[in-house]
Amino acid sequence: MAELCAVVGVGQTKHAACRADVSIAGLVREAVDRALIDANITIADVDAIVIGKAPDMLEGVAMPELWLADALAAHGKPVFRVHTAGSVGGSTAIVAAQHVMAGVHGTVLTIGFEKQSDGNAMWALSVPIPFGMPVHAGAGGYFSPIVRGYIERSGAPKHIGAIVAVKDRTNACKNPYAHLHEPDWTLEKALETPMLWDPIRFIETCPSSDGAMALVIMSEERADKHAGPKAWIHATAMRSEPTAFAGREQISPRAGEMCAEDLWRKAGITNPAKEVDVLEMYVPFAWFEPMWLENLGFAPRNEGWRWVEDGVTDMTGSLPVNPSGGVLSSNPIGASGMLRFGEAALQVMGKAGEHQIAGAKKAVGHAYGGGSQFFAMWLVSSDKP
Amino acid sequence: MSGTSSHSLKNGVFVAPLEVAFPYKRTVGTLLSRFFTSLQQCRLEGTRGSDGRVYFPPAEFDPLTGAQLDEWVTLPDTGTVTTWAWQAIPEDGQPLAHPFAWALITLDGADVPILHAVDALRSDRIATGTRVKVRWAQERIGGITDIACFDLLGGA
Repeated sequence: MAELCAVVGVGQTKHAACRADVSIAGLVREAVDRALIDANITIADVDAIVIGKAPDMLEGVAMPELWLADALAAHGKPVFRVHTAGSVGGSTAIVAAQHVMAGVHGTVLTIGFEKQSDGNAMWALSVPIPFGMPVHAGAGGYFSPIVRGYIERSGAPKHIGAIVAVKDRTNACKNPYAHLHEPDWTLEKALETPMLWDPIRFIETCPSSDGAMALVIMSEERADKHAGPKAWIHATAMRSEPTAFAGREQISPRAGEMCAEDLWRKAGITNPAKEVDVLEMYVPFAWFEPMWLENLGFAPRNEGWRWVEDGVTDMTGSLPVNPSGGVLSSNPIGASGMLRFGEAALQVMGKAGEHQIAGAKKAVGHAYGGGSQFFAMWLVSSDKP
Repeated sequence: MSGTSSHSLKNGVFVAPLEVAFPYKRTVGTLLSRFFTSLQQCRLEGTRGSDGRVYFPPAEFDPLTGAQLDEWVTLPDTGTVTTWAWQAIPEDGQPLAHPFAWALITLDGADVPILHAVDALRSDRIATGTRVKVRWAQERIGGITDIACFDLLGGA
C-alpha cells in the first residue's frame, strides 16, 4: 500500500511573454526558491528532484535537466526528467509524489518550466516528417475540428467558448502571478475578437508564456511534524492513448475518461460535481472547459456547455473552474500542468489569496497533452483521507 | 525545414532526408548579461563562490549551496594551460583557420578552467603549464567569441 504524502510548499514565477531578466536557470530558481521558502526548508533538506518540461524542441536545449542540476544545487541528489508533452507538469508532480508514496524518499522537490520566448512552440513541433501527412496547423488548427465536432454533437451555442475565456481572464486578475491581466473583457467584446481557427476565436486561445512552478512533497511522517497548511494527496491517476487510431473518440478521449474514473475510484468519490470543491483544469482553448467537464465525469454528455452558460464554473458557482485564470491566462507549457496541480494544492491549503475559494477542502488538478492523448490528475485535500 | 521530395528507393527500402532547422534565441538574464557586456568591453569578470573559488566563466548559482552569486571578480588577461588537444586540420567555423590547440585554460586568479583556442602554430610549442594571454576579437558582440583566441605568452 502506498504511503500517504502531502504538498507542503508551492512556488511559482511571475509568468510573462518574455522573462528576459532571467536565464532558464534563473526562471527555474525563482519558482524553486519560493517553494522552498513556502515549505520553510532549504535545498539541503530535499532528497530528490523531479523535473518536467515540454519537448526539448521548444527551446532547442537538449536535456536541460542535466545542466540545471548545478543551478539547483542538485549535486549528490538523484535528478529525474519526465516527458509527457503538455501534460508533463501534472505527470511530473505525480512521479515526484510516487517517489514518496513508494517510501524511497521523504522529501521531493518537483519542477515544471518553459521559456517559450526562446523558441516558437507553435511551429517547433510541426516540422514536415517524411512519409507523414504535413499538417502545419499548430495546436489551434489541430484542435479546431475537434471543437467543431463538440459544438455539432452537443448543440452548444457558439458563444460558450467566449464565456469561458472572459471568466478565466477575469479570474486571472485576482492572481498576481498570471501572465495576462486584462480586467475589461465583456462577452460582447470577446465575440468581436478575430476568428483564428474557426470556430476558435482569438480570445479563446492561451498566450505563450515564460514561467515555472515548483512543489515540495513530503511523506506523512515528515509532513505531520511540519508546521503550516498541507495539501494531502488523496489520489493520482495517469492514462495515455495514441493520437490517432481507427474509431478513436476524439472529442472525449477514452484515456481521459479512464484517468478520471481511476482518480474517483482511488479517492472514494462517487459524485465528482458535488464532492469536489474546486477544479483546476487544463483548458488551453476555451471550448475544452465544457468538453473536459464531460470527459472527466462532472457533467453529463453534451451538457457541459450548459454548466458554463449557467455560471456553475464561475468563482461563485458550485464548481469553480480555474479561479487562477488557468492556461487561458498563463501558458508556460511544461509548467502549465503543475500550475493546475499546485493551484489545486493552494486552494485546499487556504493560500490562494484573492482567488481563494472559501472553505475549499477537496480540489482536483488536471492536465492533458499531445493530441489529447496524455492525461494526468490528482485530488488533494486539506484533510487526510 | 526540409521538403519531402527526394524520397529514394535503396535496396528495396524507401529513404527520405529529414533536415530540421528552426530559429531559436537565448535570454541569459541580468547576471550573465553583465559577463557578456564586460567581454565586449575587453574585461574578464568572474564570480566568487561560497567557498571562495572564482568561476570564469561566471557561475550564476553557487555549485555548492545553490545561492545566487553576485560577488564579481575582475581577472587579468593571462592564464595557464591545464590540458590541451591539437586540431591539425581546422574545420570551417572554428576559431582559427590554421592548426591550433583546444585548451583548458585557468585564468590567473580563477579556480576553474575555460575551454578556448590557443594559437600555438605547432603542437610542440604547447604543454600543460604553458602561459597564455587573451587575444581580443576586433569586432566584439557580447559573446565568448569576443576572445578571439589565446596567444602564447612570451613566445614559447
